Amino acid sequence: MSAAVLVAVLVAGGVYLLLQRGLVRVTFGFVLLGHAANVLLLAAGGMSRREPPLLSTTDPAVAADPLPQAFALTAIVITFGVSVYLLAVAGNGGDDDAADAEADPSPARMTEQGVEL
Amino acid sequence: MALAIALLVLASTAVLAHPLSNRLGRDAGYPLGALFLVSLGLIAFDAPTVLDGGAVEFERQWIPALDVAFRLHLDGLSLLFAILVLGVGALIMSYCARYLSVEYDHGRLYLLLGAFATAMLGLVLAADMVLLFVFFELTTLASFFLIGGQGLGSAKPATRAFVITATGGLSLLAAVALIVSVVGTTDLTEALERSEEIAASPQGPWIAGLLILAAFTKSAQLPFHFWLPDAMVALTPVSAYLHAATLVKAGIYVLLRFSPPFAGMPGWTIVLVSVGLATSLVGAVFALQQHDLKALLAYSTVSQLGWIVALIGVGTTAALAVAALHTFAHALFKATLFMLVGIIDREAGSRDIRELQGLYKVMPVTATLTALAALSMAGMPPFLGFVSKEEAYSAFLELPGPWGWVVAGIAVVSAAVTFAYSFRILHGAFGGGKAQASLYEPHWSFLLPAAVPAVAGLVFGLAVGSLNPLVSRTVQDTLMVETDADLALWHGFEPALYLSMVTIALGVTLFLLRAPVGRALDRPLLPFTGVQVYEASYAGVQRLGDLVGRSTRSGALAPHLVWPVLSVGALAVVGVLFVGELPVPVAPLTRTGDWLVVALVAVGVLGTVVTRNRLGAVSMLGVVGFLVAVWFLISGGVDLALTQTLVEVLTVVVAVLVLRRLPRRFAPAPRRRVVPAAALAVGAGLAAGLAVLALTGRREPSPASEVLLNQGEELTGGTNVVNTILVDFRGLDTFGEILVLAVAAIGLLALLRRDAPADASSPDATAPDAVADTAAGDRTILAVASRVLVPVIVVISVLLLWRGHNEPGGGFIAALVGGLGVALVQIPRGAGARSRLKAVPLLSAGITIAVLAGLLGLLRDSFLQPLKGDLVIGSFSQSFTTSLIFDIGVYLVVVGLVVAAVDRLANGRVVAAAEATQVPPSAADLASMEEPTGERAVVRR
Repeated sequence: MSAAVLVAVLVAGGVYLLLQRGLVRVTFGFVLLGHAANVLLLAAGGMSRREPPLLSTTDPAVAADPLPQAFALTAIVITFGVSVYLLAVAGNGGDDDAADAEADPSPARMTEQGVEL
Repeated sequence: MALAIALLVLASTAVLAHPLSNRLGRDAGYPLGALFLVSLGLIAFDAPTVLDGGAVEFERQWIPALDVAFRLHLDGLSLLFAILVLGVGALIMSYCARYLSVEYDHGRLYLLLGAFATAMLGLVLAADMVLLFVFFELTTLASFFLIGGQGLGSAKPATRAFVITATGGLSLLAAVALIVSVVGTTDLTEALERSEEIAASPQGPWIAGLLILAAFTKSAQLPFHFWLPDAMVALTPVSAYLHAATLVKAGIYVLLRFSPPFAGMPGWTIVLVSVGLATSLVGAVFALQQHDLKALLAYSTVSQLGWIVALIGVGTTAALAVAALHTFAHALFKATLFMLVGIIDREAGSRDIRELQGLYKVMPVTATLTALAALSMAGMPPFLGFVSKEEAYSAFLELPGPWGWVVAGIAVVSAAVTFAYSFRILHGAFGGGKAQASLYEPHWSFLLPAAVPAVAGLVFGLAVGSLNPLVSRTVQDTLMVETDADLALWHGFEPALYLSMVTIALGVTLFLLRAPVGRALDRPLLPFTGVQVYEASYAGVQRLGDLVGRSTRSGALAPHLVWPVLSVGALAVVGVLFVGELPVPVAPLTRTGDWLVVALVAVGVLGTVVTRNRLGAVSMLGVVGFLVAVWFLISGGVDLALTQTLVEVLTVVVAVLVLRRLPRRFAPAPRRRVVPAAALAVGAGLAAGLAVLALTGRREPSPASEVLLNQGEELTGGTNVVNTILVDFRGLDTFGEILVLAVAAIGLLALLRRDAPADASSPDATAPDAVADTAAGDRTILAVASRVLVPVIVVISVLLLWRGHNEPGGGFIAALVGGLGVALVQIPRGAGARSRLKAVPLLSAGITIAVLAGLLGLLRDSFLQPLKGDLVIGSFSQSFTTSLIFDIGVYLVVVGLVVAAVDRLANGRVVAAAEATQVPPSAADLASMEEPTGERAVVRR
């Protein structure tokens, strides 16, 4: 139950930010969604057994499922890599969420390119 | 084996086309034509076996997993078509040697003709349905290039022909897939042996429909007929070979080949007979309307193909025998006529039928040959065209009830119109006064290729019995029943004979009334043309695509990102509707302490969402990250918590590096954006939360986790199970993941160029400097701290790497700690300082080491399989596995990513976007750019 609420909160915040203009906020939304995914992965392994899967100290019978943890671990690092990339794009596009950043490229021009192959 | 060699010999013509043309020019057509005859000879070598009822087969493995093989076979039907492909092909090649102008690009034409002939021969020899499809498509492709090779004006007709016939190709593929779904093999012979299964299966009607679509598009039946007259922009020999004798017969071949399951089915018969006859009639009327000889012949081909399709639809043995015979007869007279039109065009400079008059007086041989072919087309005795037409009447009359007479009646009208336009050609050739006195007979070598089929049409008409064995075998192998064809010039006084007489009488009347008929027809018969309809629907499809794509054609991100979010919502709806009763959770999942973390995260998320202060948002995001780390810790993920904490620190470092260039506050979001975004966010959050609630925690630990926990240590020698999963059990996954990280790092390096320190012209160069100056005091403190801390950090980092296999740590975590050290060294040094660590060598070394560790595993069993052993140095002994080497690779890649991020985010300036949006530079711009480009290359290493 607690994991479900946590995922709900993180997804709601993440989606909201994802739909904002400005790549910085979109990136923040992406980070929140990454958290949500990792919490979900752990929940998929079960939240009833919560001892760390370290065999030198823990009895395997009460240890948490290690497989989702391994997935989540690499996911964290990859989310980091992608966030850094997004931030780099965001930070170097000038005022990323100034009003004119929203301006669409001319649809007419695009159509023309699309039609004339 | 002879079959494969025949195919190879034919394929060699495509290979030899250019070398021979370079040496011989247009005369290369003669040796190439000879190769066609060699191929025909090889086929003929097997012909007696086939005519005796045997089949010649050849098989080579191709895709064994799908049971697809390179299977060829030669039976009666294949033999008939192979003779046409190779025989007419040889004539066309030698015709080209005289028809082409000396300057023409002979190599290209011969190459394409050779490639087309190979595909066509492969199509009729293929005994595997996938192979058949491949060759079918190759003929389409060759046709496209042959039509389109005539300059810009031919681009549109070529594209139209391609789109129509390729649609048929896809349809054939779908039919093949459905047949395979019924019979479970791609072997054509076996599939046809199980025809009854195919016909009885639920897929049966679909298969028939798809095959009919494939054949109708390829063989130019209504309403797809228009591509064929359109394709007449091609060279005349191409029209003669592809668009009269062979390519358009590919549809006929497909219908004949797949007749066994469907022949006699009412739907099959109704569709083929009605569309075939309609095409035959409409094509004939259009042909009568034309003045351009080539257009006339094109519509005539459409009409004759319709005639053959109708016969296949009748589906009796007699009807299929006539279909086969007429395919043969049509190839003879139509190829002749096309070649003669080419000759007349070449000599007289015109293809207008009205300017032909008196041709006999200046070009008697040409005119005579034209007459031979035209009489066969008109269906005059004793030509082959007469036999096939009269046999067709008999076949049509076999239809049940009154339909026989109705169909035969329509056929008579169509044949009478055919007679009329054939006589127009004849009249043009022989009637009238001498109009063009300066013309003279072409050289015999130009006429010979046209003369052979013209005379053959007469000879085979007189001795039609000699075709009986071939036609019988064709029908037997098509329908797989025993039958004997009984073709003869004279069958006695039968209904068909009277119908022939009526046809000729009607035809003569139409011809005599040619002046009023011509006036009546000399206007558009329909308010629209096929080409117009095609172009309108083509434009419509493009408008639809435009409409579909419009919402994504925006520089803003939200229109793109909203779709995945909405589809998650759709998934939730599906889940609620279709996920049935759920098992009860196996054990209590929630602990009281959880709620504290959840509540704090909720506050953090709310803060991140509502604040308009950038730094505030970053801080709140960091808080959420640390809380998630706490969550991992209370869930039993020690390594996870460590990783999360470190990543959070580094994320904040990177974010701050970026944010210092941006305004302090986010632009306020307009209300029209806030409300829908908030609604979607709440919806998505609810959906995700419900999914977690419904779909997790309801089972015992998975078998995989049991194995990992209980046997992990024994198998890997490590006690930190998470780490052993990363480097031992699922090393390949991890390998893929570090590749992703390396790509992200290289992306950063490519995206951001280091500012040259003296680049004062850069508009934003002043801002960081100002920031740097005011922050000088802070830097000193950081710099001192880093001197003390960094050595400690490095030691901890190495220790974490070393112990990772047994205790919390490992390559990822150790590298993130190392990355903190990198940041701590680099940031106090300020903008412009070069990092002593270089990202690219780190990244490449990391990946190389990971690959090498993987290859070591190959020594034992498989890539990345760890090798265990003991490292003994003197009295010191330590168990050691190669997975540690792999972990070092991971370590180096992650450090490389951090180095790239810190270095370029602190000092970089975007280049890609600015360059990408520029218009293509002129030559002068390029010249002036050369200098700085070189410089940049040096800076970027």
